[in-house]
Amino acid sequence: MWPANRVANRQLLAFSRSIWKSSTQSCLPNPSPQKDEEDRNGGDVKNVTVQKVSGGQGDNFAPFRFVYPEFLPDPRIDWRNRIREKLERVDMLKRRSVVEIPEFYVGSIMKVSVSDLNAPGKANTFVGICTERGGCGLRANFVLRNVIDGQGVEISYEMYNPTIQSISVLRLEKRLDENLRYLRDCPIEYSAFPFDMPQEIRNPDDPVPVNTMKVKLKPKPWCAKWQLWDLKGVEDFSDQLEEWQLKKLKTYNRINNTEHEKYDLMKIYRKTIPAEEQSEIFGEVHHQLAKLTQVLRSQKRKRQFAKPQKQA
Amino acid sequence: MASLWRSLSVLRLGNSIITGEPVCKFSHLARETNALAVTSHNLSSLMVQKRDMSRVKHRKPHPFFWWTKKRRERNDQEITEGNQAFIDQVVLDKYGPSYVPNSTGMPYISPLKEIVNSRNEWTTRSIRTGVIARKIGIYPMWGKDGKRITTTLLQVVDNHVIKFISPEECQRNYGNRFGSLGFVIVGAESADPQRFTKEYCGLFKQSGTLPKVRINRFTVTPDAALQPGTPLYATHFQVGQYVDVAGKTIDHGFQGVMKRWGFKGLRATHGVTKSHRRGGNIGGGGEKGRVWPGTKMPGHMGCLRRTMFGLKIVRINTKYNVIYVQGGSVSGETNNFVTIRDTFLPRKRFPEAPPFPTYYPEEAQEPLPDDIFDPTLHNFSEPSIYYEDKV
Repeated sequence: MWPANRVANRQLLAFSRSIWKSSTQSCLPNPSPQKDEEDRNGGDVKNVTVQKVSGGQGDNFAPFRFVYPEFLPDPRIDWRNRIREKLERVDMLKRRSVVEIPEFYVGSIMKVSVSDLNAPGKANTFVGICTERGGCGLRANFVLRNVIDGQGVEISYEMYNPTIQSISVLRLEKRLDENLRYLRDCPIEYSAFPFDMPQEIRNPDDPVPVNTMKVKLKPKPWCAKWQLWDLKGVEDFSDQLEEWQLKKLKTYNRINNTEHEKYDLMKIYRKTIPAEEQSEIFGEVHHQLAKLTQVLRSQKRKRQFAKPQKQA
Repeated sequence: MASLWRSLSVLRLGNSIITGEPVCKFSHLARETNALAVTSHNLSSLMVQKRDMSRVKHRKPHPFFWWTKKRRERNDQEITEGNQAFIDQVVLDKYGPSYVPNSTGMPYISPLKEIVNSRNEWTTRSIRTGVIARKIGIYPMWGKDGKRITTTLLQVVDNHVIKFISPEECQRNYGNRFGSLGFVIVGAESADPQRFTKEYCGLFKQSGTLPKVRINRFTVTPDAALQPGTPLYATHFQVGQYVDVAGKTIDHGFQGVMKRWGFKGLRATHGVTKSHRRGGNIGGGGEKGRVWPGTKMPGHMGCLRRTMFGLKIVRINTKYNVIYVQGGSVSGETNNFVTIRDTFLPRKRFPEAPPFPTYYPEEAQEPLPDDIFDPTLHNFSEPSIYYEDKV
């Protein structure tokens, strides 16, 4: 079912807004310590979660930071306050007990239905690929992208907005990059997904698969200087760059030399929440989170027995 | 109406001395209220023009030289560990523990054996005391209609009344400046007395509390007098009420015109050299060939006391003493001190009696819930918002 033109127009507005949405994540090709950690875990995030939720000691909470990144506060010291963060987490758990916010990553395909005053039927459903995920605490948000009537549409959703009726993950997978903003400059087939896409059935204890697909960029003009981004999920596009651009790229790499950054301990410390604090934070909430996931999972099973889905 | 005028004039005078707040807002209100009982003398005193943006700044050295010196110079006395422990134990026995940052903002102890306040009925003329809070952050909440609002969290941190100064004493010290109003001095965050001077600690003799990190005075009507040592809570205020929140704005230091006044600067190209962020011309020629007073120029930006008037309280957390105020515009950085008091805006003052002179938990009929929400605000434990289809 494709939404009406009117809805698409409204979403276009949201898209144009979201284009200029400033991202908290750095756009520069910095080696992120979290990413490294993730790689070392071999993407076996879900599996570890399930096994170690009951243990709950030391660095056992490490996988939580990928499954529930919004529970970690902004590491900027001027903005931190323990009481505020605690109250925020309490509110987040309250909201999570009402609506299931499933595990998802950038690259997963999701379906979100929202109460919308101006939509026909007062509700709106959108399916798309998650291109960005950001924010912390109650400000946490993600962006879904799809193609409607040949036009790319992106909608930014706040995860804890009470007008969200349901969030479901149709295909749980990861991509190679932190965000997929470059899909804006790719052919539309990379970001087109049917609205009646069925939910893929997977074993919840299986590791989350990483989609190593490499997309192809359209010829210029682009909406960003992708050559500076160190993109991994994009085919080599150096043939599209001019000679002076390649020359400048070398200079750029020399000036913003990222080689030394992995030795800059203070920089890493300032940009991340220390592991001790993480275990403190997740130690507070992991019991409730585990309980919530259990309850929601059993509810889902019940629902499936009651109403078996039609196979096309 | 008389009380309103008194409050306004007091506020103005108080501002000129204490807060440095703009008055033009109130003179505007005065015209709206169309008061008849005001003499021309009073009116003229209200209509003193003072610019909101404060281009001509009244900077004063702070803290004032006539204030009691607060911090003690640390001299390394050679005290043995045993003696140090003995001193700590004496302080602990006498006053109880000092406030731990990032804990519940509750006062640990009330030094009062019993409340001996003479209780008065609340009238529309009454002006209650305010409280001292820390701005602990900002986060979004949603209304029942699904509309997002930004809320600022203000934690009332370990507040006690330190002293009440009667109107008579006030008049003796300040003349007729505060009319028939007195002061309540409120302190926040008890701390180790060894950090402060002997004189500063002496201020807290009457209240029986440890010396406080921060003290503030609030003008009150005599019927809202409070006994020294009374603890103040977030529930001093009610949900749905409007408050004025004052604090020191973020200090930006010496800034150019583009950041300080929002000038556009000059062009990036077309022959412009070395003046891309400059303000350009600052004065005319001819008879008025000079720089006019108040011209917007580079200078020190921020670090000024500013009040946000008429902010609505949308939620109160009684467990952690946190007040959720609508809007993200409370001045100051996170973890800064601010003062909260009932608003002076005449149309936003509460119609019903608030806890008067303050909230006493001992006298409450039943304990309050942990979280009190405004009826327009969505509680996160409620189900999602659905709009009904109007047919």
